[in-house]
Amino acid sequence: MVDALVEIHRVLAPGGVLVDARPDSRVPAYAERRKPRGFQRFGIVKTSRLELANDRASDRAIARAVRDELFKRRRRGRFWHLVPFSDLAELRKYLREHLRFVHRAEWVVDAATRKRHSNDQFVIRRAVRYELLEACPPDS
Amino acid sequence: MSSVTKDCVGDFGKHVPAYASTLRPRPHDELREWGGSRLVRGKRVLDLGCGDGRLALGVARLATRVEGIDPDPEAVASAKTNSRRAGVRNARFAVGAAQHLPYPDGAFDVVILSWTL
Repeated sequence: MVDALVEIHRVLAPGGVLVDARPDSRVPAYAERRKPRGFQRFGIVKTSRLELANDRASDRAIARAVRDELFKRRRRGRFWHLVPFSDLAELRKYLREHLRFVHRAEWVVDAATRKRHSNDQFVIRRAVRYELLEACPPDS
Repeated sequence: MSSVTKDCVGDFGKHVPAYASTLRPRPHDELREWGGSRLVRGKRVLDLGCGDGRLALGVARLATRVEGIDPDPEAVASAKTNSRRAGVRNARFAVGAAQHLPYPDGAFDVVILSWTL
């Protein structure tokens, strides 16, 4: 990862900007059902241990690139992204196949209630973090 | 009414590219969060890990030139197809790795690592 950042620094013009954006694994994602007004949260979806380790390695690589004065931190932030699903079955399929997640949300209601709402719209609410880094001149 | 169940996952790290692309934020939403269109307007942009070109094609209408690079040949083929379909003329896509970028020094004003690092 550090090699990649060195290479990115090389191809960036001095003062150019590197944007690093990725899901914020430090914050859990939420499974929610859309209601006429707002959302009903019914589960927490956590990130797998391996992905957490990968994210920490990425953080360390960025920190090292900043320490080595390849980049200067300019701005960072976080926003919430809603991943929409047309029904409960589609949400379940996504959670089953998306192996970044390990703790799966389960909507615990009686069968009649689940059937009544099976065609409702569901969402996964995920935190996405981003950071803008400015390329330092090569000889700085 | 809520609980969380723990699943056993044997194939860590497996990716689902189709979902990964279609279910990510829309390019202009991401761009707005990063500070708006001025970040890429009139700039030379490199999208590292471009996948099917979702973001690269999204910023191409604002940027002078967009290059997308991804190690997955299938994803790059999709990006090229999507680019042709969208009639985008200032975006190019190639197979490659971030460790060995086939570009000269200082070739870009903005490099984007969106859901890549």
